[in-house]
Amino acid sequence: MNHAFTYLLEPVFQALRNRARRREPGDGLRAAVFGALALFVGLTLFAVVFWLTWQLLDYEELGDYLVRLGLSWLFLTFLSFLAFSSLVTSLSTFFLSEDMRLLLAAPVPVERLFYSRFAKTAAQSSWMVVTFLLPVLMAVGLARCAPLAFYFTAVLTVVPFVIIPVAFGALVTLVLVNVFPARRARDVLMLMGLLFAVGLVLLLRFLQPERLLKVESLPDVAAFFATLQAPVTPLLPSFWAGESLFSALRGAVDGLHAGALWTTALCALVVTRICYARYFFAGWSKAQEARKARFTRLAGLDWLLARLPLRAPARSLVVKDLKVFLRDTTQWSQLLLLLALALVYVYNFRVLDLDRIPYMSGTIKNVYAFVNLAMAAFVLSAVAVRFVFPAVSAEGAAFWIVRSSPISMSTFLWSKFWTGLWPVLLLAEGLTIASNHLLGVTPVLRVLTAAAIVGMSFALVGLAAGLGARYPRFAAENVTQVAGSFGGIAFMVLAVLFIVVMVGLLAWPASIFLWHQLRGDPISPARGAIASACLLAALVLCAATFWLPMRRGIRALEELG
Amino acid sequence: MIEVQELVKAFGRFRAVDGVSLDVAPGEIHGFLGPNGAGKTTTIRMIAGLLAPTSGTVRIDGHDLAREPEAAKASLGFIPDRPFLYEKLTAGEFLRFHAGLYGADGDGLPARVAELLDLFELRRFEGELVESFSHGMKQRLVMCAAFLHRPRAVLVDEPMVGLDPRGARLIKDVFRAMSAKGVAILMSTHTLEVAEEMCDRISIILGGRIIARGTVDELRSMAGSEDEDLTPVFLKLTGGGGLQEIDEVV
Repeated sequence: MNHAFTYLLEPVFQALRNRARRREPGDGLRAAVFGALALFVGLTLFAVVFWLTWQLLDYEELGDYLVRLGLSWLFLTFLSFLAFSSLVTSLSTFFLSEDMRLLLAAPVPVERLFYSRFAKTAAQSSWMVVTFLLPVLMAVGLARCAPLAFYFTAVLTVVPFVIIPVAFGALVTLVLVNVFPARRARDVLMLMGLLFAVGLVLLLRFLQPERLLKVESLPDVAAFFATLQAPVTPLLPSFWAGESLFSALRGAVDGLHAGALWTTALCALVVTRICYARYFFAGWSKAQEARKARFTRLAGLDWLLARLPLRAPARSLVVKDLKVFLRDTTQWSQLLLLLALALVYVYNFRVLDLDRIPYMSGTIKNVYAFVNLAMAAFVLSAVAVRFVFPAVSAEGAAFWIVRSSPISMSTFLWSKFWTGLWPVLLLAEGLTIASNHLLGVTPVLRVLTAAAIVGMSFALVGLAAGLGARYPRFAAENVTQVAGSFGGIAFMVLAVLFIVVMVGLLAWPASIFLWHQLRGDPISPARGAIASACLLAALVLCAATFWLPMRRGIRALEELG
Repeated sequence: MIEVQELVKAFGRFRAVDGVSLDVAPGEIHGFLGPNGAGKTTTIRMIAGLLAPTSGTVRIDGHDLAREPEAAKASLGFIPDRPFLYEKLTAGEFLRFHAGLYGADGDGLPARVAELLDLFELRRFEGELVESFSHGMKQRLVMCAAFLHRPRAVLVDEPMVGLDPRGARLIKDVFRAMSAKGVAILMSTHTLEVAEEMCDRISIILGGRIIARGTVDELRSMAGSEDEDLTPVFLKLTGGGGLQEIDEVV
C-alpha cells in the first residue's frame, strides 16, 4: 500500500457519509434528543464553570490556587478515564475488530496499520473527554478574560494529553494479549473491567472526599489544602496539562510543562509503535485462537433451573439466555463496572456522616429518600436499556430457531421479561434499602420507597422488553448498537418521564403525611383522599407502563414479516 | 507460486496443522480437501497471513510471508469463507478502497472496477450499500475485490458457498481463465464435484496432516477404486466408514 495511514480510515468516513445520506426511521428524533441533551449539558457546564471561576476572581491568590488545583484535578480525572477507556478500545480496535482480517490479508505495512488504529482508538476513547473539556475550558478562559493564546495552548495541551494515556492503554493491551493464554483474549476485557472498578474504588478512597466536610478535624488551613493537593502529583501528565493551561490563563508560557507533555507523548507514541511492529501480529494471531476458548459448563445452573416451576419451552429459553450471558465476558465486565459504581454510591452514604451536618435535618433526609428513589430508578433504567431492551435483538440471525419452533411469541417475550426482571429488581431494591438505611430515613418512607421500587422495576423492565420487541435490531453487531437505536432512545425518554411522574406522585402524599406527623395534626379527609388518589395513580401508572408495552411487543413479534 | 513447507499450528498440546507441505505451480488449480475440523481453514489462514504458524514457512511468488509479508500478500488474492465487508460502503467504494490497499488505484482503476463488476454481474449495484446485498452477491463482490490487483496466486476458501448455479458456473469459468493465464489457485472446498471437475491436483488433509496428494486418477488408485467418482474415494481415504449405520439410525 502506497497511501498514508489515513487511507485506512477512509471506510469510517465514507460509512458516516453514507449513513448521513440514507436516513433511517427515528434518525431525526435521535438527533434531536441527543442534540438537545448535548446542548443542555454543554451550556450547563459552561454556566457552572464560568460562575465558579468568576466567583474565585474575588479571592485573588486563593482563587488562583483553586483554579490551578481545579485544572489539575480535572485533568487527573480525565487521565484515569482515558487510560481505562483506551485499554478497552485498543482491544477492540487492534485485536477484535472484524475488518482486521481484511486489512491483514492485504499488503499493508504494520506501521501504517498501527497509526490508523491508534488514531481510531484515540478518537473513540477521547471524544467524550474532549467534548466535555470544550465548554469547561472556554468558560474558564472567558471568565478570566484570558488572551487568545490560552485557547491555542488548550488545543496544544489536549492533543499530547490524549496521546499519552492512549499509548499507555494500547501498550498494556498489547502486553495482555501476548501474555495471557491466547484462548482467553476476550476474558481480558473482564479483567480490565475489574481493574477499573477496583481502581475507581481505590481512587475514591484515596481522595477521601468526606474529609472535606470535616474541616474542624483538620489541624489548620494548610492541612485542608494538603487534602485537596493529595492526588495531584507533579509526575503525572495531568499536572503538566493543568500547569501549562494555568500559565496560559495568565498570559505566560510554561515551556517546561508543555515540553514535558509533548516529549512524553511523542516518546510514548514511538515506543508503542515499535512494540506494535514487533509484537502485534503474534498478539493478533493469539486473539484469533480465542475463538476456541474453553467455557464453563454451568452444570449447577442446569440443576437449579430444572427445578424452577416453568414449562419446558420457557425453561429452555431461560437456560439459553443465562448461559449465553454468563459465557459472554464482555457483558460481565460491564456488570462489574456497574456493581462497582453501585458500591461506591452506597458507600458514600456511609462515609458522609450526614448527622453531623447541622442543616441536614430529618426533613431534608426524607426529601433525599425520593432523590435516592429517582437515582435507583435511573440506575435501573440504565441497566434495563443495556441488558433487557436488547434481549430480543440479541437473538440476531438465530431468531429463526425461536420463530420456527412451537413457542408462542408471548412465551418468548415473557421469558425475556422474567429473566431480566430478577437481577434488576434485586439490584434496585438492594440499592434503595441500603442507601435509605445508611441515610437514616423515616421507617414509613423506607417501606414506601422499597415498595415503589418493586413497582418501578416491573414497569421499567416491561417497558424495556416491550419496546425491545417493538423495535428489534436483529442485524446489529453488538448490544451497544441496539441500546443506542431509536427504540433504545425512546425507552430512555419514556423511562425518565415515568420516573419523574412516579417520584412526584409518591413524594407529595409522603410529604403531607410526614408534615402532619411532625406537627401531630390529623390529615384532613380531602387531603387524605388526594394523597390516596396519588398513590393509586402511581400504582396504575406502574401497571400500565409494564403491561401495555409488553402487549404491544408480543403483537409486534407475532406480526413480524 | 504457493510453497508451504512443514507448516505447524499448535493450540496448546493440540496440533491442528501438523507438518503440512504444499506446492502450487503457476497455472495450477490445486484442491485442498478434508473433513470438518481436519485443519483446512487453519492452514488457509496461515497462508493468507492471518494466523501466525507455530513453525514452518509459507512463500508466495518467492516471498517469505514471515520476512516479507507485504510483498507476499501483494501477490495473493484471498477469498475467505466468511468474508468481512464494510456494510455501510457501496460496492464501488469498497472496491476502490480495496484497490488502494493493494496499491492498485492508479488511472486504470475505474475501468478495472467496471470490468470486474460487469464480469460478476454487479455493475448495476455499484452504488448500493453492501448491507443490502444477498449472500451470493457479497461473495461475488469479494471475488471482484480479490481479483482487482491481478494477483499471481489465489487462495480461496469454499468458493461455491451461497452461489446459485449461474454464479457457480461463472466462478468456475473465471478460475479456469485465470489458471490459463498462469495464476496459481489453491482452493479449499467440500464440494467434491467441483474439485473433481476443476482441480489439476488435490491434497487431502486429515487430522492436520496431508494423507494423500495427486490427480483425481492418482487418488482413485490410492483408494483402490478405479471407476468411482470422488466421493467414495474421499470417504475411503478419510475413513468415512460408519455410513452403513445410517439405516439403523434412521
